[in-house]
Amino acid sequence: MIRPPSGAFAEEVGSTVRRLTGVVGVTVGLALLLSSCGDGKSSDSGSGSGDKSEVIAIAADPLDYINPLNENGSPGIQVAMAVFAPLVTTDPNTGKLQNVMADSVTPDKTSQTWTIKLHPGNTFQNGQPLTAKDYVDSWNMTAQGSNAWKNNGFFSKVDGYDALNPPTPDGATPKPTAVKTLSGLKQVDDLTFTVKLKVPFSQFGLTLQYLGLAPLPEEVRKNPDAYKRKPIGNGPFKLAADWNPGDDIKLAKWDGYKGPNPPEAQSITYRFIPNADTAYNEFLAGNVDFVDVPPTKVKTFKTDAPDGWVTAVSSGANYLVIPAWDARYKNPKLRHAFSMAIDRKAFADLVGLSDPAKGLIAPDIDGYRDNACKYCDYDPAKAKQLLQEAGGFSDPVMISYNTTSATGQIFAEAIGNMLRQNLGLTVKYAGKSGSEITTLADTRKLDGLRFGGWGHDYPSIEDYLTPMFKSNGDANFAGYANPALDTVLAKGDAEPDQEKAIKLYQQAEDIALEDMPLIPLYTKSNAYLHSAKIEPRVSKYVGVSALYATFK
Amino acid sequence: MIRFVLRRILAAIPIGLIVTLGVFALVFAMPGDPLRELAGDKPIPAAVMAAKRAQFHLDDPFIVQYLLSMKDLFTGHFGTTFAGADIGDQLRLRIPVTLKLATMSLVFQWIAGLLFGLYAGFRRNGIVDRMLLLATLVVLAVPGLVLYFTGQYLFGVELKWLPVSGTRDGWPMAYLLPAICIAIAGFAGMARLTRTTIVDTSNADFVKTARAKGLGEQRILWRHVLPNALLPVVTLMGIDFAGIFAGAVLAESIFNLPGLGQFLFQSIRFKEGGVVVLLSTLAFVMFIAINLVVDIVYGFIDPRVRNV
Repeated sequence: MIRPPSGAFAEEVGSTVRRLTGVVGVTVGLALLLSSCGDGKSSDSGSGSGDKSEVIAIAADPLDYINPLNENGSPGIQVAMAVFAPLVTTDPNTGKLQNVMADSVTPDKTSQTWTIKLHPGNTFQNGQPLTAKDYVDSWNMTAQGSNAWKNNGFFSKVDGYDALNPPTPDGATPKPTAVKTLSGLKQVDDLTFTVKLKVPFSQFGLTLQYLGLAPLPEEVRKNPDAYKRKPIGNGPFKLAADWNPGDDIKLAKWDGYKGPNPPEAQSITYRFIPNADTAYNEFLAGNVDFVDVPPTKVKTFKTDAPDGWVTAVSSGANYLVIPAWDARYKNPKLRHAFSMAIDRKAFADLVGLSDPAKGLIAPDIDGYRDNACKYCDYDPAKAKQLLQEAGGFSDPVMISYNTTSATGQIFAEAIGNMLRQNLGLTVKYAGKSGSEITTLADTRKLDGLRFGGWGHDYPSIEDYLTPMFKSNGDANFAGYANPALDTVLAKGDAEPDQEKAIKLYQQAEDIALEDMPLIPLYTKSNAYLHSAKIEPRVSKYVGVSALYATFK
Repeated sequence: MIRFVLRRILAAIPIGLIVTLGVFALVFAMPGDPLRELAGDKPIPAAVMAAKRAQFHLDDPFIVQYLLSMKDLFTGHFGTTFAGADIGDQLRLRIPVTLKLATMSLVFQWIAGLLFGLYAGFRRNGIVDRMLLLATLVVLAVPGLVLYFTGQYLFGVELKWLPVSGTRDGWPMAYLLPAICIAIAGFAGMARLTRTTIVDTSNADFVKTARAKGLGEQRILWRHVLPNALLPVVTLMGIDFAGIFAGAVLAESIFNLPGLGQFLFQSIRFKEGGVVVLLSTLAFVMFIAINLVVDIVYGFIDPRVRNV
């Protein structure tokens, strides 16, 4: 459940569903100067031996533990996806929800209480049967604020969360609360439990595919620190060898996994190579079977590996963020003028592997409309007129960009030049670290525009609108608030019929586009290279997966 | 000699204090919230944030944070990084990597520097001398980043002579390419210095005197020129050795060697003041120790400095 820093650009936005932090941007930034021009014949073998084994490069710092409940970064979730299994998942072929560990997930009439029945016969890799108690206890542990586990926030929708997360005065150490369990979480029998939410939420079933909700077995729950480097999962792979600091993570297929569509690979090695360009070179040298194409190679990867690349639309969208806390930018006409002064086609070409955005949500999401935005066409004349109607803008427009991104300044100047040339504005730039931009924005001290990117945690149009546009949304980059939009969102949340719910969410998107706190810019594809012996799974719903690759 | 050593060690204590305090202050002053940098844009629930801040003492005043990390340093209870890695484990893993890389690259660098420098010094304006001048200019002009990636691409990807990155091939194979790259980037300074001092010394009066009284060229070289010419070279070697840590930051990142340089790079990125101070202290102690060794060696080469 990690999102790119709001100052980040799309190239920092990670793979299909999960996000990378600015971390990758730093290493990427180092390598800006370099461009590769190799013949890049896709190599036919990784260093793994035997049949159906693959080496997957992850361009990130090595993991220090595997615990899905305390993990929200792309690298950690990627590994956890092999070792653990979620309750439900998105069927890569149909885009529909599919049960994995669950037998059924059923809402009550109001979508406030959800009953989850587990499929019988599943076990953990230590042989213990997987029960409802494992879920209830694991989730309670995560919801306990003093444990400081990263997926704690997921449970804020569940009844009783506040009792486990009392407000802590600044500087004080949170104490474990007397209450240890979420009042909204109830075990019914060995295989059934119920989740009562604070308010109705029609999309809750979709959120359960998040891997960060995977259960831990009892022995791990008793002493999680002892199992940091020897996870006991319930997924298709288990650790094949001791995993010490600095080692690759070596996984072997676990026969006890009974979920649908198990991966074909017999063994998988995850190799962490923090520098993305080095990881790319490792692929070109034939030492790994799968690698993400870093932003510095977007223009060259097709010639580097002519027979070994795949792309897929990244589930996410990228925006220009207009601060709602700055009265000078308040007039929607001014925002529309900015939007129509941007040549999205040219900008998407500059970014590479990208398409102009036509709305606020990603194109692979149910409920996406390619004509949602009325103010996203490039029309300098209309833009100028709108600017005049809005009373003009005499101050310089400040654009902040992330200096840890290889392309931050280039993109900022591209947008700045369009505003300058098409609207006659004065533009200034400020380069800062991603976390500094975020901190300034959080405290309402950031001056002017910045870039923002978002990728969903679960494939629902709602996961774009609530976080970014609801007045208390947890990724409300612009600090935007409109009670009308909040009301429509609440109606959507309470609507059990998915079709009708989507219609309501689309109304919310329309309101957000009229107010335009975020100017849609582009949606991006991710590219990956793979060796000749594997064919990664490519799905228009869940992107590219090396874990589910088929072998030749 | 013992008094000299003791005096140097005592003098190092206040310097160490200033250096660690300064480094800690710099990391502290970096903009942005360190825990935020870890989390991306996903909001961290207040309780989780508070627990993490308390764990890493982030809410304490600057000086308290500094003293706490100094305490950790002296008691050897290093704790974990923000991301959850055990710092003691990391040091055990990383120190040998950096030492292997450092020694290998220095050996290459010194051999190349001395050989080219000596030869160019004695054969002034010869072909080697001119080539050396050109080569050093080129090497000095090319950023390390470009050199490292070019080396990696050429020898790792294209020719496949050496591993692209990582330590899987063990010592020495895994370290050869980064060590050669560091040596290429660094030998120029040594070569230029050696050449210059050789030239200077060869023209010195005492060399002319030696020649005038009929000493053989070999004897002049070994007894008169070299010992005097090599004094500044020894100093540079010391600085090189102490500074290898800094050079390792880039090389270890690009060649994916899990050494101290890579660790330092990560820690600065995440604003982990405690780890940065720990690593800086390590570098500092090494710097002081090496300088001490250089001073002692100096004493053997040059009797004049013994009584300073």
